Amino acid sequence: MIPKKGMIKSTDAFERLVHWWLAITCIILIITGLGMMFHSFNFLGTPLGGLKNLKLVHNFTGLLFAPALFFAILIWWREAGVFKMPEDLEWIKVAGGYLWHVDDVPETGKYNPGQKAFFLAVAIFGILMVASGLIMWFPLSLPSGLVQWMYPFHALGMLVIFPFVLVHIYLGTIGVPGSARAIFTGYVTRSWAEKQCPGWLKEMEKEGRLEIYGEEKEEAAHG
Amino acid sequence: MAEKIKLYDTSKCTGCRACQLACKQWNALPAGQTYNTGTYQNPPDLQSNTWMLIRFQEMSNGNGDVKWLFRKDACMHCTDAACIKVCPSGALFRTKYGSVALDKDKCIGCKECISACPFDVPRYDPVTDKIAKCDLCFSRIDRGMEPSCVKACPTGALSFGDKDEMIARAHARVKELGGDANVYGDQFVGGTHMLYVLTEKPSVYDELPERPRVPLTVIAWKDWFKPLTLLAAGGVLAGSFIHYLTHGPKDTSGDDQAGGEGGE
Repeated sequence: MIPKKGMIKSTDAFERLVHWWLAITCIILIITGLGMMFHSFNFLGTPLGGLKNLKLVHNFTGLLFAPALFFAILIWWREAGVFKMPEDLEWIKVAGGYLWHVDDVPETGKYNPGQKAFFLAVAIFGILMVASGLIMWFPLSLPSGLVQWMYPFHALGMLVIFPFVLVHIYLGTIGVPGSARAIFTGYVTRSWAEKQCPGWLKEMEKEGRLEIYGEEKEEAAHG
Repeated sequence: MAEKIKLYDTSKCTGCRACQLACKQWNALPAGQTYNTGTYQNPPDLQSNTWMLIRFQEMSNGNGDVKWLFRKDACMHCTDAACIKVCPSGALFRTKYGSVALDKDKCIGCKECISACPFDVPRYDPVTDKIAKCDLCFSRIDRGMEPSCVKACPTGALSFGDKDEMIARAHARVKELGGDANVYGDQFVGGTHMLYVLTEKPSVYDELPERPRVPLTVIAWKDWFKPLTLLAAGGVLAGSFIHYLTHGPKDTSGDDQAGGEGGE
């Protein structure tokens, strides 16, 4: 997936690094979490030498997930954490054209409301997961009346994040072809950008901040 | 195999603690250093190496006299056991006798059962990184013997037998005692496999929940969110697949621009 001349830069190296740091820790957490959530998935602990080690992997991965989440929120909250009304509402009303045919899908900026919802779900429930998880790790140091609530919160976080991640993976790969390269190479095709983030593309072009593969970055340097 | 119940009749208990000692003996639980809390109750609470304990409680009868209330505190072996519900590894399990036993090898020391238990029974042992609690002497009852505490009881306060018989016996005893006497255990958490005949109302006893129940947090966690997660994840997978087949992937190609086609 080497970018081709004329492709548009949509993510920088730090964004991609944080994305994959978050993604890999998140997937490990989901898999190890499933291993403890369902007895029928207890076997997931076997390759690690038992469920106790699975628990340790889960807990320590959580410690790695936390800083990734911190950076993710820092990087993306402006672009993906704030709904822009009324455009976003219009987009939501037609489900972005993802579920039925829509002639004119309202233009979105860098991220559409669906992506914003995913970002917010991961951000909010991610924080909840880290906080409840830490308490669950050391439950005896706090009153059990409080500790008790951490388990359903943790389960609720799983209920929200896990299916959302699956949707994210689908739409980031085969659902919307050409998306995955944005987060691997950082570059997308112009037609992809025109369809996925037209508002952002126009803004970047207007401001002359668009970075195009194979072209000198003079515009960017001036900007 | 019929379900078994251990019946504890407080009216016959003299607080001799033979049961407490027998429990330690059979289960090879060494005593630890203890401390005086101003009562005969010793140790002060259940511990990872004290699976059952006679609670000593002084009760004034209102005219200057004091009477002892004894209560044998240990796992109640709930039918609707919150600890089994939350245990991630299956270490806590229901035996064919209805009791709740522990497979120590499977325990991962997560402590989830501790806050789930409505009776505050499981204790964590930091040395082994495992949980500990009464298992109704599974090693004994599975060989046709009675639990060691029952065996040791000199007054007949403890008895062990088939569920129906024990429940009937408990109610007959309560009738005999009259007053505030009551049966504690058969009306909640699906019925416990340790049954009390209490001489006083449950609210009188220290550390005894009046209406024990599987905590709402456990129900939300295990009965709602857990199956919903499976449903949502499965639904989303199926939904994505159907979406791909019917609606199809989004067309993000374009032949009018450089780099528009054939990136992959």
